[in-house]
Amino acid sequence: MTKANVKSEDYTSPPVLDQWKGPKKAAHEEYYTSGHRTCQGCLSAQGMRLMAKAAGPRTIVLTSTGCMYVANTTYYTTPWVVPWMHTQLGSCGSSATGTAAGLRALMRKGKMKKEKINVIAVCGDGGGIDMGLSAISAALQHTHYNLLIYCYDNETYANTDIQVSGSSPWGANTTFTPPGKLHRIMHKRWKKNMAPMIATGHPECKYVATVSPSYPVDNLNKIRKALSIGGPTFIHSLNPCPKGWDFDPMYANELGELAVESGAWPLYEIENGVLTMYGKSKNIVSGRFKRRPIREYLSRQGRFAHFTDEDIDYFQSKIDDMWEKWHVPGVLPFSVE
Amino acid sequence: MSTHSVEVVYRGVFQGTLAKNICRGIVLAASIDGKIGMAFGRYSDSPERNGIPAKQFAVVSDTEEELQEVLAAYQPDAADVTIVADDTMCKGIESWAWYGLQPINSMLKGGGTLLITSTQSSNKLINDIHRRDEPYDLAIIKSPASLAGKFVYKDDHTDVKILGALAKIAPHIVSLDTITQAIQDQWKDDKKVAAAKKAHDRTDTVSVSAGQGSDRPTFDFELPGWTKMGECVSIPAQSVRQDIPGREGGYTPGRSETFRKFSTRTMRPVINFDTCTKCTLCWLTCPDGSFDITPDGFYDANMEACCGCGICEDVCPVKECVTMVNEEAFDDNACQWEMWTKDKESYSAWLLGKISNRPARSHGFHHLGQYAEEIANESA
Amino acid sequence: MNPPKAATANKSDAGAADGGVRELISGSEAISHACRLADVDVITAYPIRPYDTVMQYVSKMIADGEFDCEYIIAEGEHSQFEIVKHASTVGARVFTGSSGVGWLYAFEALAVTAGLRLPVVAMVGNRALDDPGAFGTEHNDALAVRDLGWMLSWVATAQEALDTTLISYRVAEDSRVSLPCAISCDGAFLTHSQVMVDIPDKATVDSFLPPYERGKKLLHPDNPITIAPQVNEDWLMEIRMQSDQAMRRAKGVIVEAYEDFNKKFGRNEEPFIERYMMDDAEIAFVGMGTLEMPVKVGVRKLRQQGKKVGFIRIRWFRPFPTEELREALSGVSAVGVIDRDYGLGSPYNSGVLANELRSALYAADNRPKVISYIAGLGGREVSTEDVIHIADMALDAAAGGKTDDQETYWIGVRE
Repeated sequence: MTKANVKSEDYTSPPVLDQWKGPKKAAHEEYYTSGHRTCQGCLSAQGMRLMAKAAGPRTIVLTSTGCMYVANTTYYTTPWVVPWMHTQLGSCGSSATGTAAGLRALMRKGKMKKEKINVIAVCGDGGGIDMGLSAISAALQHTHYNLLIYCYDNETYANTDIQVSGSSPWGANTTFTPPGKLHRIMHKRWKKNMAPMIATGHPECKYVATVSPSYPVDNLNKIRKALSIGGPTFIHSLNPCPKGWDFDPMYANELGELAVESGAWPLYEIENGVLTMYGKSKNIVSGRFKRRPIREYLSRQGRFAHFTDEDIDYFQSKIDDMWEKWHVPGVLPFSVE
Repeated sequence: MSTHSVEVVYRGVFQGTLAKNICRGIVLAASIDGKIGMAFGRYSDSPERNGIPAKQFAVVSDTEEELQEVLAAYQPDAADVTIVADDTMCKGIESWAWYGLQPINSMLKGGGTLLITSTQSSNKLINDIHRRDEPYDLAIIKSPASLAGKFVYKDDHTDVKILGALAKIAPHIVSLDTITQAIQDQWKDDKKVAAAKKAHDRTDTVSVSAGQGSDRPTFDFELPGWTKMGECVSIPAQSVRQDIPGREGGYTPGRSETFRKFSTRTMRPVINFDTCTKCTLCWLTCPDGSFDITPDGFYDANMEACCGCGICEDVCPVKECVTMVNEEAFDDNACQWEMWTKDKESYSAWLLGKISNRPARSHGFHHLGQYAEEIANESA
Repeated sequence: MNPPKAATANKSDAGAADGGVRELISGSEAISHACRLADVDVITAYPIRPYDTVMQYVSKMIADGEFDCEYIIAEGEHSQFEIVKHASTVGARVFTGSSGVGWLYAFEALAVTAGLRLPVVAMVGNRALDDPGAFGTEHNDALAVRDLGWMLSWVATAQEALDTTLISYRVAEDSRVSLPCAISCDGAFLTHSQVMVDIPDKATVDSFLPPYERGKKLLHPDNPITIAPQVNEDWLMEIRMQSDQAMRRAKGVIVEAYEDFNKKFGRNEEPFIERYMMDDAEIAFVGMGTLEMPVKVGVRKLRQQGKKVGFIRIRWFRPFPTEELREALSGVSAVGVIDRDYGLGSPYNSGVLANELRSALYAADNRPKVISYIAGLGGREVSTEDVIHIADMALDAAAGGKTDDQETYWIGVRE
């Protein structure tokens, strides 16, 4: 998988992982396999599987507390083939920095065989977009370390039983924001615009991308590009959660597609300062694809079952703003005079 | 003076509210009778996951002291009644809270009653359930399993039907009068009271004799002690592949021996290898990596690893190439690709038998109003 | 104390086997030299007084090319301690440190570092906890982690700071132990004042301190393992038991380390405690850290008055020297424990050390009276007069006077 076109003693430049042209080119090997206790149709688990498959065997994975910790690795059961370690909820960035720094020091000082080892730190939206934001920001400043921060966003603290996070969509029913007799909408914050925050705030971060496991080839290749480009990189993934979003697990992949086709989840990458929109998101910008009404996305999730038409219209208007009023449609939430 | 324990085995998130309603109903009814009790879920089953079997309990006693004797343990050591909220769990259950596959009736007292919501015949169910040394009773509520999601509850009265049936099979735990009063107090809904009474009158019980039932193997895992466990909280990783004779040229991932997840399944994919285009989508989108790659390049859902989410059916571009079929239609985890390779014609016949007129399943929330439609169809 | 060795060079030793040098440096600078000599691989820093002085010396050594390591300035103490925790799992020797509320900001990381049995070595520049903000020394910061699996030592001199840092790496990284270790230095007294210190040469240090080998616990693609999978009630007691056994084994490993250290570096230090004029003592002081200065002066003055007083300075608080203290105090009738910390609402409202000592002595055949004193909080001076006053009270208690061994006395506090 890893091309051997880099000198074996060279450990500072990143591994070169070629892009897979189509699903049939994807490696057969699983480095995140069965044996996890996640829900049926868990696209966060699918995100882990694609991530590990893309990265290959010479990889170390760190995972912040959350479903992808607790549900994955109950003692004596682990889905991980590659070396894996838990890290604290707010420590995604620190775990990547520490692991990369340790490897670099040992290789530079001749205490460890010199080779390229992928370092990937995984966090959920609670660990990455709420608690761990400052540590991730710090990690992305260390341009001499090769590491990938992968945020799987299932839009709640799913493992603790579905509580609202800073990345939960407006109005969603969670166990901390239940609709009630007096207040139908308890969650009034709009979802953070995480990937652009990372890209604009860390000008030396060479690669920031959004992915969806519903588009597996794009997902795989963006992971491989992030690991190949060097320095600290960031990928934000939207991972439909049958439990917390309340839908039939069978339709997990469709929900991921609906998020993109409704415009709620734009797919793009920012590589060395150049923004490229992907797939349907690209066609939405160019006008070749008409966004599907957000109602089609919301009405298939039990967490929005309490929405009135007014709520859906409000949600739609915010999505419309993203694509019609933002300076860079779907990405930068301001206009320029 | 007496104490009674009722165990409710349910499909995690899909049936969490259902199980809670049942256990609360039992304790509320008992309190109307002047008894005391406690309703609780097994903590180590939480947080619940979709489909993964979990347990809740209702314990009722005449006195505080008797109740304490049961609650002094982590969970009751035996159940007078085991309520099974989904009949596909009759083949055995693997949960968060323990290691290995347990018989569904493992906690049931000899002479106790297994109460199951099912549209299957008692004989079919007895063939699925592991055999025991003592006889016990099997009571069936004739209705399909009720599965819903975390936030939108499918209020098809399954909870009160089970409570009504419980009053029929175990009046010494809850009488019909007190259970109907508890239901009225809780929901203020005459329809629910009527549904409970109807279930009470219609619930049939058959007795299962000692040794009757399935001898399907279970599996377990012995917990090592601190001197045997790895220091510094570490365990071995999984292997990257399994080398299986006859599978050379294909690929079978390494898989956990201590958690297999197949008892999470309420339905399974059956695959038509004759129409399969090898497009890879079922394999590539399976969150559990449960598809083995065969030497001839097909993707074969491994029934020891598949948890039955159904994504493969949803993403498959070929009509009825991958079809989800109710788990009740299967007796084992046999490899479909091997069946097909051995005898393509009889496999096609087998496949057709499985996918034609298969019983409907609801697997959670699809769209607003869906549960109401389903309830209408089921009562029709 | 240790006889100074012959000094030659006056510039910092860069690792040549020249028999070491003698320099005028602070405790913080002494620890930075220990890190250099131990060839530490990853160091993380974050500013908070007074520990941060050690990082100022470390950064200068790196800037001058005298010391090669990955040096990371974190964005907070939580990250500071998490980064070294993870570097340690891939086999890197690490160093970090903090003070006061900074140490507590990292509390979660401190807990998991011990739970994961990672041999992180940290300096704590003891500092009072906010609020109100205060720079002065108090021991409650380091003591906050006393039951979590951190080995805790208190040093009294810059020389001891350097020596104990080298010993800490050897003990912490020993596969029989594999636990983190914190070296406590009283703020200001040790972190900011300079004395002559023997800095050993690299060759001698290498002969004492083997490389850090993580073996089958190494997180590396050549050794694929899963570390810290979620556990339920079926597992946690066994894992805690393993940590308990490691801490028990640490006592023997510490003794081994001091024996070898004394041999290789020409010292004569007792591992867990320092005894001062204890041979014929009838009453004893017990304390930790730089308190030793006024106490030793006070003991000498009291001896001149014909009062048989001695002093025991505790070097290692975890593992606690229970047997050693029982033996050392078996001949005294009263003990005055001077805590530079507080234990609000604790038994007899005493300091942490006093109550630990009470429990250690409870099974002793000849149980002395233990009188608890709280002194020097926030870095306040503990004067020789205070020490003499404390001794007189202890003697009074020993003679069955009105001094109450079930009371706790605050020394030098205004009414």
